[in-house]
Amino acid sequence: MGLTLVLLQIFLFDNIALSSYFHPLIYVAFIILLPLDTKPVWTMLLSTAMGLVVDVMTGMGGLNVIACTALGFFRPMILSAVSGHSPTGENAITGLHRFTEKIMFWYITAMVFCHSVIYFFLESLSWDHIFRTILRLLVSDIGAILFIWYFVKLFIEKILKK
Amino acid sequence: MRLIYVGLLFILIETVALNYYAHSSHYTQAKILSRANSVFGWAQSSVFGVKHFFTLRRENMELSERIAQLEGQLAVYREREANAQTDSLGFQSMDSLLHESISQYRYTTARIVQSTISHNRNYITLNRGLMHGVVEDMAVITPTGVMVGYVVGCSERYSVVLPLLNTDFRTSGKIVGDNNFGSIYWNGHSPYKVQMTELSKYAEIEEGQEVIASGLSHYFPEGIRIGYVDSFTLNENQTSYDVEIRLAANMTKLNNVLLIENIDYGEISHLEQTQGRDGEQGSQP
Repeated sequence: MGLTLVLLQIFLFDNIALSSYFHPLIYVAFIILLPLDTKPVWTMLLSTAMGLVVDVMTGMGGLNVIACTALGFFRPMILSAVSGHSPTGENAITGLHRFTEKIMFWYITAMVFCHSVIYFFLESLSWDHIFRTILRLLVSDIGAILFIWYFVKLFIEKILKK
Repeated sequence: MRLIYVGLLFILIETVALNYYAHSSHYTQAKILSRANSVFGWAQSSVFGVKHFFTLRRENMELSERIAQLEGQLAVYREREANAQTDSLGFQSMDSLLHESISQYRYTTARIVQSTISHNRNYITLNRGLMHGVVEDMAVITPTGVMVGYVVGCSERYSVVLPLLNTDFRTSGKIVGDNNFGSIYWNGHSPYKVQMTELSKYAEIEEGQEVIASGLSHYFPEGIRIGYVDSFTLNENQTSYDVEIRLAANMTKLNNVLLIENIDYGEISHLEQTQGRDGEQGSQP
């Protein structure tokens, strides 16, 4: 799945020349869809590895590693916040398939937003163009959320429920 | 306790990555991209080949127009040559002029296999590399003679171009018919516009005027078209113009490009470095 997402990101989404505002970062679906029982250290290291692969293939100087590692680190906290349960412990939700549609939507939205805030603000490295950065972030996030939502609905949900 | 270790590891990874990102330049990024291209370039080439298929019609039309334009120029040269044959002195000067213009620049063609416009630091990958005679610092233009960028990294079979749409790109440009020049850069906003700054307030400028390479940059021969003046304002100090330039090339629909090598570049660069060193040594007590 990780490889598919990286290939889609690099060969399809990075080549969509619609606008400089539209840059959906869909490969974060890999981090979003990691099993919930993955240990925090492995979640973070796998996220770092994903960022590193994208950085090497797109020539970005560590930007994806920074954003992905942070997302991997904060994922347990985001999961707790959107689901209301701790990812570990007695009341833990054991799998993504147990999420209601509402929780799934907010989980995807929060993860995509957390990643893209770090990515786009670090890329612009300036407060001068803050409105442009916010617009880029919103337009790109809508594209990424829609893609990941349908990716989950069409391909992943059936696999998770088995 | 484990969470503390995860936290420490997080801080460590982020520190290393932030440090690397802060010190990375377009040069280091192009090097990484060149190496990645030598492994994954074939895949990018295949994907772009499919995309390329759908633009062949438009591309053929552009090339036909370009051929017609060059035929026209060739006819002028032929006529001059025929006239010069009656004047041996004139012929010699014409011959030397042609020889100079041919010997300073070497041209080659390439096809784009990957390009982006959605980053602040965009790059273009070409399907020609060291084994095809492509070297760093070659200028890249469209088949219709419009500026695209210059080569910053090469692998054996692929090369990476720093295009106009990269916030690290800098070159020198001027308005056609005026000798004042300014610095061209991209502010990262529109993929259809670049900016020119430090253009003297004495420059004769109007909206719609053509902006070309000044020839002061070693990469681009003088006269390479960049775009057209979209708007201009005097800067805060009222000393120079800030100009918004509408690009002549549609950077979102590029397929084939021409590469130009300035054969004198190495010699000029070496001379400048030598002069720089001599200057530093001379200034030391």
